[in-house]
Amino acid sequence: MKIVSFALNGKKVSCEVQDRELLLHALRERFSIKSVKEGCGIGECGTCTVLIDNEPHYSCLTLASKVDGHDVKTVEYLGDAGLLHPLQKAFIEAGAVQCGYCTPGMLLSAYSLLMKNENPSDSEIREAISGNLCRCTGYIQIVEAIRDAAGLCKCKP
Amino acid sequence: MLPDFASVSPETKADALAYLASLDDVRVIAGGTDLLVNMKRGELCSNVVDIMNIEELRLLSGDGTDIAIGPAITHAAISAAAMLNDLAGSLSAACGWIGSPQIRNMGTIGGNLANASPAADLIPPLLIHDTVLKIESQEGKREERLDDFIVAPYETSLKPHELLTWVCIKGLPGYREGYRRIARRAAWAISRLSVAWAVREDGDRFVDVKLAIGSCTPMPFRPRNVEKFLGGRKKDDHTIGEAAALVVEEIRRITGDRPSFAYKLPVVKGLVQKALRG
Repeated sequence: MKIVSFALNGKKVSCEVQDRELLLHALRERFSIKSVKEGCGIGECGTCTVLIDNEPHYSCLTLASKVDGHDVKTVEYLGDAGLLHPLQKAFIEAGAVQCGYCTPGMLLSAYSLLMKNENPSDSEIREAISGNLCRCTGYIQIVEAIRDAAGLCKCKP
Repeated sequence: MLPDFASVSPETKADALAYLASLDDVRVIAGGTDLLVNMKRGELCSNVVDIMNIEELRLLSGDGTDIAIGPAITHAAISAAAMLNDLAGSLSAACGWIGSPQIRNMGTIGGNLANASPAADLIPPLLIHDTVLKIESQEGKREERLDDFIVAPYETSLKPHELLTWVCIKGLPGYREGYRRIARRAAWAISRLSVAWAVREDGDRFVDVKLAIGSCTPMPFRPRNVEKFLGGRKKDDHTIGEAAALVVEEIRRITGDRPSFAYKLPVVKGLVQKALRG
């Protein structure tokens, strides 16, 4: 077992994890963050995406011990049902959410892009979400939502 | 869930080498994008040494055309490094294509080399940059050319107690470089075919051409006979057509005929021609 201390959605946290424990399981089971989902489990689908130091990573292939001393963000950092982030609102308004399984990861990849690039082109948006699979929407609405949100919101680290 | 193992995260190379020397059944982990997938599929090991906290393995230094790349540098960091864009454009391009943004933020150049997949995106560009690997263990240091480092598909000369400490490449100023891959889709797919090139031209003549082909043969390779053939020759359709045909011949010589070649060989031919035409 190891103690890991890191920033989780802006708050300092600390917990004991197993050596083989994945960040995905630590977040779901030790911090009850169920927005981070296990899809393929081998780093292909992107539904387990979290931001580590503001860059998207697959938490299903990240040992929990690796985030010691780092900053981790999940979709809860953006907003919640009571106070949605403009990016989340844009997803709803554009119809970019159908089953919703990919949405938290998709939002985080988009958020990371908008932090670095306030006015991305469609091809930059597509590139940024290319590690997140959506099997419902066909991506058109997702790209639209991110483009709509880009002008409206500040995405802060 | 991963099989059980113990892990350590040393902060210095010396500590990592000490762990590798003393621990049984030990594996090095960097980004984890290959190792953890293999472990989820049943590969076992008792101990894991995580090298991502070792700063000296994440350095990038250049001295003229000699460039040393730390093995724990991620693909994302390589594709963003200006020095590599200038002097090793095919490597920058490959690092910008590999996997997905998440994989590029996690996976490392050292990991891509140590995994030694026949379809590894970084290996063809590294071959044309005459890469030499520096390897250390507690017993000493050694150097090996990339051509010799990969001994079979997914197999390198690295011993369990050894650590890759530098990836040394020759920068190619004045060359037109590129990397092109064909995969089932543009993002997050394994290369079915890839070509890296560095071409120096003078007017309508090829001065020096370096080519490497990936995903066609058990290990990515440089068709050196074709490079030699092109040196000094006139850059025209005839030369380019002959060179592409020679590349195909060389692939056939290495592997014999394969069912996939009905598709692959014409595509390789086309890629090589495009690369040479520029």
